[in-house]
Amino acid sequence: MRNRLMGSIPALAAVLIFALLLRAQTPGQPDAAKARTGAPTVDLSGVWEGNMGDIRWATYSFAPEIPPMTPWGKQRYLAAKPSYGPRAVNDSTDYVNPTTGKDVGCLPPGVPRIYIQPFVFEIVQTPGRVIELFEFDHHIRQIFTDGRQHPKDPDLTWMGDAIGWYEGDTFVVDTIGFNDKTWIDRAGLPHSDQLHLIERIRRPSSDALEIKMTIDDPKAYTKAWSGYRNFKLRPTWNIEEFICADNADYNEEFINKGGAYSSPKPSGQHAKPATPNT
Amino acid sequence: MKAKLLPLLGVVFGLLMVSGPLSAHHGTGAFEMEKLTTLKGTVTKFEFINPHALIYIDVVGDKGDLEHWIAESNSNNHLHRGGYDKNSLKPGDQVIVTGHRAKNGAYSLELQCKECSVTDLQGKVLLGYYV
Repeated sequence: MRNRLMGSIPALAAVLIFALLLRAQTPGQPDAAKARTGAPTVDLSGVWEGNMGDIRWATYSFAPEIPPMTPWGKQRYLAAKPSYGPRAVNDSTDYVNPTTGKDVGCLPPGVPRIYIQPFVFEIVQTPGRVIELFEFDHHIRQIFTDGRQHPKDPDLTWMGDAIGWYEGDTFVVDTIGFNDKTWIDRAGLPHSDQLHLIERIRRPSSDALEIKMTIDDPKAYTKAWSGYRNFKLRPTWNIEEFICADNADYNEEFINKGGAYSSPKPSGQHAKPATPNT
Repeated sequence: MKAKLLPLLGVVFGLLMVSGPLSAHHGTGAFEMEKLTTLKGTVTKFEFINPHALIYIDVVGDKGDLEHWIAESNSNNHLHRGGYDKNSLKPGDQVIVTGHRAKNGAYSLELQCKECSVTDLQGKVLLGYYV
C-alpha cells in the first residue's frame, strides 16, 4: 500500500507542475493581474501632506515637461488662463485659484489636480472601498475595491469613476468617467472626457507615500505620459475645516479691495483699489 | 530681435530660479517675489480664514498720511498647525511686517515665504510662515 502511494507522488508532482506551467503560459494573465486582490495588502491610512521639496514645477504640475498635445489639446491649453506655471497670468479666471474677484473659486479641482492643492488629504481603507478625504474644500473620493468594473457608459463627473485593487505593496487606482471641466494641473494642462487615469500608490517607507500616475487621454495628448507626487505622513494631524464660502470674504478683501491684481500703475503712483464686484 | 530676446529670457529664468517654490492658493505673479518689503504699523483687524489669513495694518507714510495696508498670510489651517491662532494678532498691536509687495504699487503684501513674518517691535515673531 505504502509503496503504491510513494509511486504515485512523482506522477502527481508532474501533473501539478504541468498545470502551473500551463497557467503561466495562458495569454492575458500577466503576473500582476493574478496577484490582484480587493483586500488591503498595504496600509496606506493616515493624513498625508505634499512633499516635493524645492522642485519648482511641483508647485503646479506632476512632471517637468509639457507633454505633446493633439491640436484639440493645444487649443485648450492656449485658451487656459492659469495662475501658475509657464503661462501664469495675473488675471486668471481659474475657478479653483482665481486672481480676479469675479469667481469665488468653489468648483472642484478634480483629479489628479486636487493632489497639488496645498492642503493635506487622508486615506481611509475600509472593506470594499478606499476613501480619500481632501481638506481642500472637503472633497471626497471613493475608490471601490469590491471587484466591480467601471459602468459601460458612466455619467461624467468631477472626480470620475474609480476602481482599485492591490498588487503586493502597491494600490492601483483606475479612473475614467471624468467631465472635461477641469485641468490636469494648476498650470492649465488640459484633459478631455476621455481621460483614463491610472495611479500606482505605494508607501516606500513608513512615513512616505508615493503616487505614480499615467495620464492617458488620446483626445488631448498624442501619447500617454507619466507624472508623480510624493507625500509625507502627518501622524498628529487631522483634516481641518475648509469652507469655500470663506473664500468670498478673502476675494472681496484681498483680491478686490487689496488691488494687487488691478492694472499696473506708472512707477511712483499707488494703485487705487479695484472696484468691488457686485 | 532674437539677440535682444535671449538675454531677457535669461533674466526672467534667473528670477524664476531665485524666487523658489511656494505652496500658495494662487500664483505669485502679481508680487515682487525677488524683493522683500518691510513695514512698521498698527494692526487694525486680523481675519483667521481660508484660503489665506488677512492682516490689516495702518502705516504712517513718508508724508505723514495714513496708509491702509492689507497682507495675506497662509491659510488658517496651515497657521494653526504652526502653533498660531485667531489671537496671534490683535487690533492695536504694534508690528513689523515683512513680505512681498504688489508689483502695481497697491498697499498689498504677500507673506508666504520663509523670510516673511509679522513681529512685534522687539522682533518676536507673532505670525510666521508655516509650510
